[in-house]
Formats: sequence, structure tokens, C-alpha cells
Amino acid sequence: MNIVVAMKQIPDLHQIRMRDRQPVLDDVPLTLGNIDKNALEAAVHLRDTHGGKVIALSAGSEELEDTIKEALAAGADEAFMILDDSLDNADSSVIAAVLAATIRKINDVDIILFGEGSGDNYSGQVGSRVAGILGLPQVGYASSMEVQGNSAIVTRSLEDGEEILEVELPVVIAVMADINEPRIPSVSQILKAGRKPQEVLELDDLAIEILEEPVVTESNLAPETPRKQVVVKSVDELIAVLRTEGVIGR
Amino acid sequence: MNFNLTKEQLLIQKMARDFAERYIEPVAEQIDRENKIPDEIIEGLAALDLFGIPFAEKYGGADGGYDGYVLAMEQIGKVSGGVAVTISAHSLALGAISTFGNEEQKVKYMTPGCQGQHILSFAFTEPGTGSDPKQITTTAVKDGDYYVLNGTKRFISNANFPGAIVIFARDNESGKITAFIVEKWTEGYTVSEPWDKIGQHGGQLLDVYLKDVKVPVENVLGGPGMGYPILQLGISFGKVGVSSTALGAILAAYEETLKYSKEKMHRDSSIAKFQAVQLRIADMAIKYEAARWLTYRFGCLANEVKDPRQFAKEAALTKTFVCETAVDAARVAMDIHGSYGLMNDYKVARIYRDAIIGPQIEGVSDMQKMIIAGVALSSY
Ligand SMILES: Cc1cc2nc3c(=O)[nH]c(=O)nc-3n(C[C@H](O)[C@H](O)[C@H](O)COP(=O)(O)OP(=O)(O)OC[C@H]3O[C@@H](n4cnc5c(N)ncnc54)[C@H](O)[C@@H]3O)c2cc1C
Repeated sequence: MNIVVAMKQIPDLHQIRMRDRQPVLDDVPLTLGNIDKNALEAAVHLRDTHGGKVIALSAGSEELEDTIKEALAAGADEAFMILDDSLDNADSSVIAAVLAATIRKINDVDIILFGEGSGDNYSGQVGSRVAGILGLPQVGYASSMEVQGNSAIVTRSLEDGEEILEVELPVVIAVMADINEPRIPSVSQILKAGRKPQEVLELDDLAIEILEEPVVTESNLAPETPRKQVVVKSVDELIAVLRTEGVIGR
Repeated sequence: MNFNLTKEQLLIQKMARDFAERYIEPVAEQIDRENKIPDEIIEGLAALDLFGIPFAEKYGGADGGYDGYVLAMEQIGKVSGGVAVTISAHSLALGAISTFGNEEQKVKYMTPGCQGQHILSFAFTEPGTGSDPKQITTTAVKDGDYYVLNGTKRFISNANFPGAIVIFARDNESGKITAFIVEKWTEGYTVSEPWDKIGQHGGQLLDVYLKDVKVPVENVLGGPGMGYPILQLGISFGKVGVSSTALGAILAAYEETLKYSKEKMHRDSSIAKFQAVQLRIADMAIKYEAARWLTYRFGCLANEVKDPRQFAKEAALTKTFVCETAVDAARVAMDIHGSYGLMNDYKVARIYRDAIIGPQIEGVSDMQKMIIAGVALSSY
């Protein structure tokens, strides 16, 4: 069984500082998205149970050749990388087109795993878009999964309950962070990562047309909420103020 | 000159930090109280290759170099001096076998050690001396295919775990110090109760009694009479572990200080507003960076030792600076914590009790300075 895990290269969120309400990204080490690591762990687990191969797939800037070692250390058997400096900040539609075109080049893919959202933007679109382009069924919010014969049994964790689906392979699945706890790779796994098979592609190798960026991100700060700054001295006064503001019933 | 860590080095550092924070930190206080490292921690360390980072893969090691070892040990030392000293003393013995052992000895004694099934020991110190090989009184008398060892070894780390122990004794043929690889718990090998030391709890420290212990001739390490060079170079490698452990203590003291100085309130704001507190924080930051790069450099030097004497000097100066800085940093951290720092409920008390050990082990600081001055004067 071949499992592709799509993993995004992002700045290490623990090491980002803020200046003038903007993240400072210079010299911040790159890593792979946190939930993507859960997706990888899920893939490794499936491979260990059913055999086959785990293929890490990522599109990003040149540094990816180093960053991808994290996935290879944590259990991926090989990696497919599409390198281009424009890809680090590319729009979800571009990334989806690039990933889908690359997946077409990989033989016999049974499961394509995504993290529910990327560690930086969390727009959560790429998985669905890839499924759309490839014409595959997709399941989101997966909190557990297993494979039986030619189908995947996936539990989706939804706001008001759980849903268990049986889907025929090949399938696209987006996992949640609580699906597992990613393993810590050992020293030898880390040191051997760089020696595992790696396929490097450039945008020209993929027969896709990249459109003008349809979406421009202007800011990813939380919207500012104006504060009323009302000071009260007693509970009665607080209730009165909340009433006047219409926050609680009259 | 390039001060950037490679991706592999960063990942080794992160691996050790993750393991230390996720698994050791929650039991660090328990390890301190009970003077025992839980078996699951030992197994976890073994699974991540932390008992054999710098050693060759063909002997069970991870081939991660002393640079990788330093990075991992700093993170382990940061959360538990007791766990770090256990690995450090074990790696000291492995390092001696790796450098001076023959193929057969390496395969037999290093492999289970690097894989963490055995935890090794290195026994030089005796009740009479911990610094002067001339005063070693343990004897080895040759009897056919065996040597018979008698004597007492003091303050021996890991002496109660299974595995090999490198023992230094005066042999009756050469009249010199010879190193022997002995299997612990062999007939005639017994140990004392563990010493109740001030800190680095969890690290096991015992006296070893050798009564007519028979050691096959093939277990001589590096040849008869070679004990002194083995001791010197072995201890130089051992200082990588001791220095990294102390480096972790500096980082821990520094972080506890930053945290506490922001938490502890004076009137309406934290004590971090005081310049006196800020100056101490600045001093710690300076010292941590200095100690860090000295230790990382030492790890890189240990990967490729050309001149053992020069290496001994580098080892001595790194170990002295970093271990003494750890004591300073821990003491300053105590100042910032006021009386709370004296309470065992506070992590800083443990950091202090752990740090104070560094300058006194694997050669006291005074002896280190004699090595440094000796090499410096003779090569001028
Ligand atoms: C936690 C811990 C773990 C240890 N693990 C091990 C281990 O695994 N294996 C092992 O063999 N040992 C181990 N030891 C022992 C330790 O390495 C020795 O105790 C240490 O080297 C110091 O020896 P000493 O106590 O005999 O001090 P001494 O040699 O007696 O030194 C005491 C003081 O005397 C002075 N002094 C001594 N000699 C000279 C001189 N020639 N010139 C000038 N001044 C001098 C110095 O000021 C020195 O500080 C351990 C100790 C501890 C606390």
C-alpha cells in the first residue's frame, strides 16, 4: 500500500518574534507543519500494519531539501519535492495544482494524507482541492482510520458527534491533530534520513498552468476588536451597563 | 568558521529536547526524591540511541559524533542532572573502550552498552586518591591466563547496573597502571550501598569492592602498563559529557531566572523591573553563550583528536569554565529566587545541588588548571 503524505514547509512557530504587529521571519528555522506530522505518523502506522511505502510530498523553497529530512527521519520511506522559491507563499490553488500533478507521477497511490490545516495559514483547502483535481473521494476531520481490504474506515470527529465512513481506495484524508502523538525519531533515524530516496522536481517538470495569484493575503492578524473600556465599581453597576449595551436581556 | 547547526544537528537537539520535556521533566522531581531513574526512561533513552550517540554503528552506536552528543546531553542535563551523569559516566567507559579496545572487545562490550541494555562504568578513584594515578593501590596479579584483582574503588558511577566496568589497577609485572575490562557482578565483585550525594540524584554512585576478581588476559585494555594514557585520554573524552551536563544546568538556571523574575511581583509589577535583577540576567546570558560555544567546539574537537595533550588542555579548560559557570549561574538564580530558591519545591534548588557537583568530578578544577598551565607552558 502506498501512502502519500502532503507536508508543508513553514517557519518554526515557536521561534517567531513579533515586531510592529507583524511576524519577523528572517532567520527563523523552517520545519514541517505540526498536523502534517500527525498525518505522517498515521501513515507510518498504516504502513507498519499493512506494508507498503510512505512517501512525503512537499512543495516549497530550496530549503525544503533540508526540511524534508524531518519527515524522512520520522518514518517516511522516500520524498517527492517540488522546489521553487515562489512556492513558499503560493496560494492554495497553486499548491493543490502542483501537488496533484506530482501525485499523478507517483505509481499506485492508495491513500493521500493531509493535515487538517497548515501550521501557518490553516486555510485547510489544499486537501479538498487536490481531491477535486484528481477526482478522488475525500474525508476530512479524521480522528482515526484503518484499512480493510480495498477500503478505509475513517472516524470523523465533528462538532456534534462522530461519523464513521467506509470509503473505497484511493482516497484523500485530512487528519486532526489528536489522531496520534508523532514519534520522536532516534539519532540513527535522523542521520539516515538524508540518504533515503528523494525525487526533486521543478515547476517546469509538471504540465500545469500557474495562474496569477487569485488571492492576496494582506494580513493574518486577528481582527482588532474595539474595547469600550468601561470601569464599574459593583456588580449592580456591571449588570446595568451590560443591559444598556444590550449584551444581556432587559 | 561556521556557527550554524546542520539540519541533522538541529534535529538531534530537538529530539533530545522533546524527549526530555515530554518524558523526563514530569518525573524529574521524583528521580531527585527517590534517587532512581524509572525503567521506562532508561528504555526511552535507549530507543533514541542516547546511550551510544558518538560511537560507531558497527558497535551499536549511532555514529552521531561528539557534536551530536553535546547537543543531546545539554537538553538532558537541562531537565535532570542525574539522568545526564548516568549517560556521561557510561559514555566515558565506552569512549575508553572505543579508543583503546581491540575489535573483539569493542563488539563484545560496546554493543550492549550503546544499545542501552548495559550501562557501563569507569573506575579510577580510590579512597586514597581521585586525582593521582601514582597513588593507585588496587592490584592486579598475573596468574597464567588471568589477572587477579584486589582493592576498593570509590565513587563509581553506574556500578550497580549490569555491563562492563573499566578498572585501573597496578599490575605486578609492569609495575604500572593497567586498565582492565571487567564484567560487573563477576565473582568477587560487590558494591556498597549507594552514596547519598548532594545532587544529581538518580545517578548511581557506589564503592566497588574487588576480592580476588579473575579477569582473563584478553580483557586487558590497550596493553599492560597503558593505564595512564587511557586514563588521560579517556577522561578528556569523558569531560565532553560532564561539560554538556553543566551547560544544561546553566540553561536551566537561566530559564528559571527569566521565568521567576517575570512572575514574582513587587508592588504592582514584576521584579524584572529592577536593574539589579536585569544585570544578573545579562550576566547569565553572557555566560551561557560563552559556555555554549566552548562546549559545542569541544564536541567538534572530540570528533577528531590529533594531539592528545592539546586535547587534554581543551578538555580541561572547557570543563573547568563550564562547570564553574554552572555553579555561578545556579547561585545567581538562587539570589533571584530569594528564600523560595532554598526550598526543594523549587526547581532552582535542584539545579544548584546538581551544578555544585561538576567542578569536583572527573578531575577537580585545581587539577584541570594544572593540566592547562602545564600544556601551555611546555608548548610556548
Ligand atoms: C557524582 C560523582 C560521580 C563520580 N563518578 C566517578 C566514576 O565514575 N569513576 C571514578 O573513578 N570516579 C568518579 N568520581 C570520583 C571523582 O572523579 C573524584 O572524587 C575526583 O576526581 C576528585 O578526587 P578526590 O575526591 O580524591 O580529590 P583529591 O584528589 O583528593 O583532591 C582534593 C583537593 O586537593 C587538591 N589537590 C589534590 N591533588 C593535588 C595536586 N597534585 N596539586 C595541587 N592540589 C592538589 C585540590 O585542590 C583538590 O581540589 C565521581 C564523583 C562524583 C561526586
